[in-house]
Amino acid sequence: MAKKPVLISIVVVLAVIGLLPLLVMFLRSVTVEGHFSFAAYEGLLASKNKWILLKHSLTLSFLTTLFCAIIGVPLGILLAKTDMPFRGIFVVIFTIPLLIAPYIMAVSWFNLLGREGLLARFWGERTAAVTSEFLFGLPGCVLVLFSTYMPVVMLLTITFLKTINPRLEEAGKIVSGWPGVLKGITIPLIMPGILLSCLLVFLLTLGEFGVPMFLRYNVFPVETFTQFSAFYDFGAATAGAIPLALITALAILFERIFLRKKTYQVKLASEGNRTIVICLGRFRKWFAISVGILCFFMVILPLLLLVLQSMSFNAYARGVDLAGDSLIRSLSYAAIGASMLIAIGFFCGYLIHNRSLFLWRSMDSLTVFLFALPGTLIGIGLVLLWNRPATNFVYATPIIIIFGYIAQYTALTSRVTVSMLTQIPASMEEAAQIVGAGWLRRIGSIVCPLAKRGLVAGWLIAYIFCLRDMGISMLVYPPGHDTLPVRTFTLMANGPADLIAALCVIMVLATLLPLGILTVVFRSRGLTE
Amino acid sequence: MNKNLLLSLFLTVIVSIVIVLGCRKATDDSQIVVVYTSEDQVFSEPVLRDFEKETGIKVKAVFDTEEAKSTGVMNRLIAEKDNPQADVFWANEPVRAEVLKQKGIAAVYRSPSGRGIPDVHKDPEGYWTGFSARARVFVVNKKVENKPASILAYTDPHWNGKGVIANPLFGTTTVEMAALFTLWGDDKAKAFMEDMKKNNVGISTSNGESTDFVASGQYEFSLVDSDDAVSRIRQGKSIEMVYPDQGEDGVGCLIVPNATVLIKGAKHPDNAKRLIDYLLSKATERKLAFADCAQIPLHQGVETPAEVKPIEEIKVMKVNYSEVAKKMQEIQPYLKQWVGF
Repeated sequence: MAKKPVLISIVVVLAVIGLLPLLVMFLRSVTVEGHFSFAAYEGLLASKNKWILLKHSLTLSFLTTLFCAIIGVPLGILLAKTDMPFRGIFVVIFTIPLLIAPYIMAVSWFNLLGREGLLARFWGERTAAVTSEFLFGLPGCVLVLFSTYMPVVMLLTITFLKTINPRLEEAGKIVSGWPGVLKGITIPLIMPGILLSCLLVFLLTLGEFGVPMFLRYNVFPVETFTQFSAFYDFGAATAGAIPLALITALAILFERIFLRKKTYQVKLASEGNRTIVICLGRFRKWFAISVGILCFFMVILPLLLLVLQSMSFNAYARGVDLAGDSLIRSLSYAAIGASMLIAIGFFCGYLIHNRSLFLWRSMDSLTVFLFALPGTLIGIGLVLLWNRPATNFVYATPIIIIFGYIAQYTALTSRVTVSMLTQIPASMEEAAQIVGAGWLRRIGSIVCPLAKRGLVAGWLIAYIFCLRDMGISMLVYPPGHDTLPVRTFTLMANGPADLIAALCVIMVLATLLPLGILTVVFRSRGLTE
Repeated sequence: MNKNLLLSLFLTVIVSIVIVLGCRKATDDSQIVVVYTSEDQVFSEPVLRDFEKETGIKVKAVFDTEEAKSTGVMNRLIAEKDNPQADVFWANEPVRAEVLKQKGIAAVYRSPSGRGIPDVHKDPEGYWTGFSARARVFVVNKKVENKPASILAYTDPHWNGKGVIANPLFGTTTVEMAALFTLWGDDKAKAFMEDMKKNNVGISTSNGESTDFVASGQYEFSLVDSDDAVSRIRQGKSIEMVYPDQGEDGVGCLIVPNATVLIKGAKHPDNAKRLIDYLLSKATERKLAFADCAQIPLHQGVETPAEVKPIEEIKVMKVNYSEVAKKMQEIQPYLKQWVGF
């Protein structure tokens, strides 16, 4: 009885929060002084600069994805399938950059490769000039975004490897060594997962704004922000985002056609968590050393330098003094955002999984599309829609930030819900229905308890993304409600390096500490593995 | 367990709404003032905090990022013209304040604290008042022997490929270009800009970056803001500061004061006026002179550190900020084309 009204309400909420701002933006971009006009789009086609930006965006996304795949897939295999020592520790360390705002990694690399970075101190100004030249531009952006997004490929490779039916590999092992099994059986089986991870990295890089801006590499999201912030040109900002929107739509289509219908040779429930381990033998130690070196240079060294740069009591005292309120706000908004996202995402995912409304496919596409769009674009749409006296209860309060989170990150929680629901047999809900349980009761008594691990995981993922968000928050935060990433970014203008480093370290701790505590709490209650 | 989980979820949502609504209530409090500022947060926030301490009025601020090129909050104010959220705009230069006046976003307020500030740094109709200025100066690498003395050095073949300037589409460099257009006329100013191109002048993303380029020796000189120069000199960078065009025939050095604007339709007008009075006071000018931004006080007799030249000792470029603001908007298409945007 309650099913349709609840699901329709979710559709309406997402349409108002996510779709309507984009429609308003589009309408604004084709209106000049009250008249219909394609002037902004004519400028887009005529501008040579736009084609250069498109080339920049695509090159950056392609190279980042390529490097993530080249390193992330073998690393995932090493960490999931072999007996290499310290695998758990490596997984945790490699994942850290994914959990923190990408521009923090950019600041960290700047402390290493910048003109006054560590290398300059050891090898002099000439070397620093070369490394600085490398960092500020395409190579630097690729390096930073590779270290940030490589864990996506690594983690999804690990996840998909765990779903492989071990009997298939055992059969392969009878006639071939491990290289042959990996090449002929394991990798082809997880190929949809690898492609999905690559697509994710591609889209995340395409929408990334903070790193290219910090490293002065002009790409579309930066252009959108500049057109809006520096020129106040809504039309040009919207028109400039159209190529990105088209690429995003194409990527979603690609995922629909090539990845969704792939069949997975998943293991039977009776197989449990059993995976076949590759024994590295005498190479075990050497693999661990190689991965350790990669881990040191990719994650530990840049973050260590960030800590060293911030090593003064004054910097931390000033950081807490200047940004303490922002930190509390960040944590609160992220917790609120994650809670709203898990509630909305759950019902959205339920709708998609059960195809409960004819709009299910559109909802799925809409949430993924919004996730892949640059945050700056969503921010502009929200400003256009809600900036009016009648809607000040949204525009002039932190609700607008929460709306931004919902618009951009619902795909995360809805996708987690979908994957979770596929593991719950429909017969269980049907059985409860036969004995007369209403829909809400079935959701509360059957589906949610069975899906609790996924819900917790979804909440944590949403929390991280809300906490590290900058693109949306930067454009929409009401006076006195800036978040820590925004405050750190605004303080970067002429702010002392040690203070910025201290704020970045505080941001890292603010992400990792609550995450660690929540993981421990949930684990102690048996909610996570 | 399932009920607990559901309950927790619902509680979280309810608590969320309460917190958000609570935040809204705080915004309605009359003991606050909302200020948008394009002055760097690291310099403006200490002043705003002192104001909070001294008056008990809570300041809610929106700051600009370096990347918004000091125009982000101005554009936000324009976007909010029919739904004003800000009470005060603290601009880091007067031209954007003038733009707000021309767009009908500013309100008239003649602060008693601004009486000692020369009229040239104030809007004659009282829509904005200038205070604590930056000068547009050359930073020159210490290794360079004959230092450039005029902005015409940018077009002098002797300096071919040796000068760098921040992107003229943004910030104070736009103001400087617009000022030259008003001073020289369009033809001469455009010829100057084309000659700059021919002379292989480098374009950086900001004045700060230009200063760093000169300090590292990548370029020999650049026109930047005096706060960029002073902060790097205090950090021990290998640069010197030169005030351009100080000779008899020189056009003088462009002075860029901060400016305060009372926003039309401000929700807290009394608090806004108190904040403006505070910003225009001698005490604030002294603070900003001794801060790392090393700004030049416009009141006479305000104590300054050694490296800050008093305004009386500088030959100032004679410009009308109102004309500069109009010109700045007019030449934007040309500047975009010049940069290749």
